[in-house]
Amino acid sequence: MRTVEPGPAAVRARRPALRVPGRQPLLAVVLLALSSLCALSLGTPTVPPHRLVGAVLEGDTTLAGIVVNELRVPRLVLALVAGACLGAAGLVLQEALRNPLAVPEMLGVSSGAALGVAAPLVLALSLPAAVQPLLAIGGAVLGGGLTLLAAGLGRSPSAVLLTGAAVAAALQAALLVLMVMADQLDLQLIYRYLLGSLSARTWDDVTGLWPWLLVAVPALVLCAPVLSVMRLGDEDAEALGVRAQRARLAALAIAVVLIAPVTAVCGPVAWVGFLAPHLARWFNPGADAVRWLCWSAVWGAVVVTAADVPARLALAPVETPVGAWTALLGVPAGVALMRSRGRGRVRRAAAASGTSGTVPGNAKTVPSAGADRALAPAHDPRGDAPGNARPDPGAVNGTEDAR
Amino acid sequence: MKRRFAVTAALAVVCAGVELVAGRGMSPGAVWDVLGGGGDATERHILLQLRLPRMLVALGAGASLAVAGLVLQSALRNPLAGPEVTGVTPGAVLGAVTATALGLAGWDSPLAVVLAACVGGCAGAALLWLLAGRGRGDPAQTAVQGVLVSAVLGGLTAMVLLVEPGELGSVVQWLVGTTEGRVWEHWHLLWPWALVWGAAAWLLAGPLTLLRCGDDIALTAGLAARRARTLALLCAVALTAGAVAAVGALGFVGLLVPHLAVAVHGADLRAGLPGAALLGAVVVCGADAAAQLSSRLLAAGLDADRLTLPVGALTACLGAALLLVVVRRTPSRTF
Repeated sequence: MRTVEPGPAAVRARRPALRVPGRQPLLAVVLLALSSLCALSLGTPTVPPHRLVGAVLEGDTTLAGIVVNELRVPRLVLALVAGACLGAAGLVLQEALRNPLAVPEMLGVSSGAALGVAAPLVLALSLPAAVQPLLAIGGAVLGGGLTLLAAGLGRSPSAVLLTGAAVAAALQAALLVLMVMADQLDLQLIYRYLLGSLSARTWDDVTGLWPWLLVAVPALVLCAPVLSVMRLGDEDAEALGVRAQRARLAALAIAVVLIAPVTAVCGPVAWVGFLAPHLARWFNPGADAVRWLCWSAVWGAVVVTAADVPARLALAPVETPVGAWTALLGVPAGVALMRSRGRGRVRRAAAASGTSGTVPGNAKTVPSAGADRALAPAHDPRGDAPGNARPDPGAVNGTEDAR
Repeated sequence: MKRRFAVTAALAVVCAGVELVAGRGMSPGAVWDVLGGGGDATERHILLQLRLPRMLVALGAGASLAVAGLVLQSALRNPLAGPEVTGVTPGAVLGAVTATALGLAGWDSPLAVVLAACVGGCAGAALLWLLAGRGRGDPAQTAVQGVLVSAVLGGLTAMVLLVEPGELGSVVQWLVGTTEGRVWEHWHLLWPWALVWGAAAWLLAGPLTLLRCGDDIALTAGLAARRARTLALLCAVALTAGAVAAVGALGFVGLLVPHLAVAVHGADLRAGLPGAALLGAVVVCGADAAAQLSSRLLAAGLDADRLTLPVGALTACLGAALLLVVVRRTPSRTF
């Protein structure tokens, strides 16, 4: 079962053979199919794969039909949607802030949303279900806005991250105060929720997500080409006719709208927004932001679906939260991916400084790969990764789209 | 220098005094009565069996955390290294929680909890070491990686807690860090541990001061830098583990009090370490007193009787605010 996890992909990070562009769709589809199959058929009662279609068609008449239709399918759909949203939001955040470590967890967005959801639970306020995503959005805006206000938008990535860590810690403290006030039963509920769990979610939860997706997806499509331009850096983007600051704010707003409803339904599923964009970038480093956005959403769905299988079954009959698994496996994998890319970048920077005497982009930031690529001189003498060092044609396309 | 120590010590005494009278249940006058030998049995119990050990535990834990933070920052030459961001505190929490869940340690065998916390803290630090690699060049990057390590360890802790949900209620208070309900047993466990490792840290004060100047200078001065650093790290982990086992993961004390201590007492650690210990005690004890007072006021204001504000929440908020100020005030430095 655990071979389905994203972990092995990181282990293979050293083997460039996997990076052949054609492999990505294949790998993603196989992983997705495998984990969906596991999600639908394993468990109690076990429904063998060849009986799945029958069980779905039988509907409410048999036990297997009820279990599959009312429990497993909505859970799978929720995992897919949540993963896609988080993956896309992660990429939007990272590209907009040009910071490979800008993830919802580190910007205080997730903790803010969690606080917004947990507060009425503890304070025993009864609210209609429709208000909950609004509260989550309010909390997420509060957390992310606080971070960005305190850090300033144009600051170096590390400053933003440290500020975010501080804001997240403060929000977490507020959350823990709430938890201390809660009684034992609420506490279990909140704790499970806070770690991100997909257990016992029904079709109601899934349908609650649709209105938000209707807002977010067109906005994403509109903003994706602009993201490609933002990668060139603020000055170049402005020169190309993009109002960088305004575009950045819009991108952040979209990210919040993507993250908050998901957080309201299944809690802050941790670090998916970190792993998925890095997977997408690692598989085709030469692509532009539009393609990365699509693949990041796909990988987010794969990661959450795959992590949900061990979350449901590893310690059965106890369900473990999916967020704990994504944190456990996603962080090491993401760091490994980032480092394997970073090493190539350092080598390139050293080579570039050896030839032209300029160290690109290192003066004040630890720039994202996109920024680095935009700044790096094209004459890379070693060219350690094909397509990695040259300004890619995709970025140019994105520029023209934006116009 | 002496005057500064005197002022800090006086502050510590004031904080301890406020802490003694701050709680719910009896008035300051009653406290005075008990101290004078009077008072009825309940009042004597509250003061001598509940408030006094609580105050002492707060003082001891604050001192341990601050010293550990200063030792870490000096040994790693990283102004952003604190027990919280180097994986030591989350590791210690994980170790203690795991040992409790496995039945190896319980609240009736506190020494085992301390040892487990120590092992966990070492494991957390080792994990960061692995992740950051040999070239621990950029302090900010190490800090960011420390946050990542904390995330992994937090996930593991969550797993353990969900497998053993019975512990959750008692452990949550401890995840945020609180001095609620600490009694003489905790103090008897904390002080020998803190004393031994604190003394070790003080013996290392000279080498640590050299390490602050950089490896080259330390080596030129004839110091075995590597060995000194290893010893110092061990010391810091042990002190953090002791404090975590006693009061839980108090946020930001180990990260920010050392900066305060260096600002007040200078970078010579022979004066800085005791100063940091005193300041840490002041900060934690003061925060605890403030938390008690404010939860009393809040309870009166909101008319809710079960409202308690854990001290860890207060220190985390204070620390976050301070960190924000620090990050804001250094616009040119990229950290």
